[in-house]
Amino acid sequence: MDIEASDLIVGIMVSVFGLIGLILAAGATDNEMYVFGLSLAGFSVVFVIGLIRRHYDKAELRQKRLRGEAGHV
Amino acid sequence: MSDLALGASSAVAMPAHRTIVYNEDIVKKFVIATMFWGVVAFLVGVVLAAQLAWPELNLGISFTNFGRLRPVHTSAGIFAFGGSALIGTSFYVVQRTCRARLFGGEALANFIFWGYQFFIVMAALSYVMGFSQGQEYAEPEWHLDVWLTIIWVLYAVVFIGTVVMREEPHIYVANWFYMAFILTIAVLHIGNNIAMPVSIFTAKSYNIASGVQNAMIQWWYGHNAVGFFLTAGFLGMMYYFIPKAANRPVYSYRLSIVHFWSLIFMYIWAGPHHLHWTALPDWTQTLGMAFSVMLWMPSWGGMINGIMTLSGAWDKLRTDPGLRFSVTAVGFYGMSTFEGPVMSVRDVNALSHYTDWGIGHVHSGTLGWVAFITFGALYYLVPVLWQRQRLYSVRMVSWHYWIATLGIVFYITSMWVAGIMQGLMWRAYDAFGFLQYSFAESVSAVHPYYVIRLTGGLFFLIGMLFMVCNLILTVRSPTTERPEVLPAGVAVAGE
Repeated sequence: MDIEASDLIVGIMVSVFGLIGLILAAGATDNEMYVFGLSLAGFSVVFVIGLIRRHYDKAELRQKRLRGEAGHV
Repeated sequence: MSDLALGASSAVAMPAHRTIVYNEDIVKKFVIATMFWGVVAFLVGVVLAAQLAWPELNLGISFTNFGRLRPVHTSAGIFAFGGSALIGTSFYVVQRTCRARLFGGEALANFIFWGYQFFIVMAALSYVMGFSQGQEYAEPEWHLDVWLTIIWVLYAVVFIGTVVMREEPHIYVANWFYMAFILTIAVLHIGNNIAMPVSIFTAKSYNIASGVQNAMIQWWYGHNAVGFFLTAGFLGMMYYFIPKAANRPVYSYRLSIVHFWSLIFMYIWAGPHHLHWTALPDWTQTLGMAFSVMLWMPSWGGMINGIMTLSGAWDKLRTDPGLRFSVTAVGFYGMSTFEGPVMSVRDVNALSHYTDWGIGHVHSGTLGWVAFITFGALYYLVPVLWQRQRLYSVRMVSWHYWIATLGIVFYITSMWVAGIMQGLMWRAYDAFGFLQYSFAESVSAVHPYYVIRLTGGLFFLIGMLFMVCNLILTVRSPTTERPEVLPAGVAVAGE
């Protein structure tokens, strides 16, 4: 499994932001903080899923190239 | 390095046989965001202009109230439209002029893009929900400020990291302007938003400074947001895209360096001119006024350099309407940077302040300079990024140019007349020493000009929609595809 350092660092950082979002939403005393906290958690989940998807897309493309099935993009 | 080639990017062969693959996916994302937010910003602006002309259009709903929508318009225009254009073009320019791929990898660049868009959406949502610090151009509450700080610092790391990793020994002047923009905005944003939240779970916060100190810090921030976000950043854009589009070198590289250092030194002191005739000490007002007047020279240094870069290529203005946008933008830059110092003179300010003259001045800068220089860059960038032979319709660019220019003329002339009239009505006394007009009379008097301003804004929005259609068709239409290059010696039918 060849994971780029940038993906890993950014993934961990965004996950931490997601957790902070959940904490903010859980303790929120007003609508703004509640909406912000939940949105931050949602943003983090979607972003990390995107990172994982891109990782496997790249791995797949690399495999195809090795087999000579895909041209240069 | 093999992963680098997976995205849609361009490659440059280096003398030592090392290939650099630029990250252009991220630039494309910012280009799309710029177009989207441009439409949003201008649309909300048109709605607000209509509300000012006919207040019933506030609809009696808190979410559609002028007070809540106004920061949506300014933030969408400055930070969403302008910010996306600046970050996107800076990533394009720094890679090309440094011959280096963006520092920090694809994931970090993507985080900066999506994190910035997240900030914009959350800020807009908070305004319509009624949350605001009440400071112009710095409305987001503390939690959004912290989020923006994180994004901005990472943006600085990527940009400066790319400059540090450059293959090109010289740092091109556009990068100096972009770096001044990035670093100074970081300092301004943090300095103006030092606030104490009521609690970590509450959106409400209180600024560390109060009274006149708070006002001074706010306008140190506010004026330099104009100086470094809307001026220095877009000058960086000018110094790359005008020479590229005109295919000419910068008129005077020496002048670019001189006006860079003098501009960034002087701008930072000019903020107090926003607080003439207030509780701010007189000497501070005079200092702000003096630096504002001096600022005229470095500003015009940039204007002269931008326009004169076309020396020997003036004919291109007839054939390349994209370049016409860029050069007209520099003209508007010259005009608004002359008007600004005039308005900063205390006696002129006594007439112009709090009137619509200020609104006209701001829009000659934002529509004429910021938006036009961005349009010029987008018309250049889209065919390059999406590898198309040409724009879908040059005629449509021409239509966009004239509609938008007419829109600006309607906008700024109506606001000049309305503003000067307001200023004169507010200071008019009758024979007995009483005010001659009530405030309501001045509001009623400017109504026709508000309708003209609305028409101008509508024209500008229609022009923007022309551009969006044209650029979408440029990317999608088969007519703009690059022809396949035939191998040498292959006969072409009909030859």
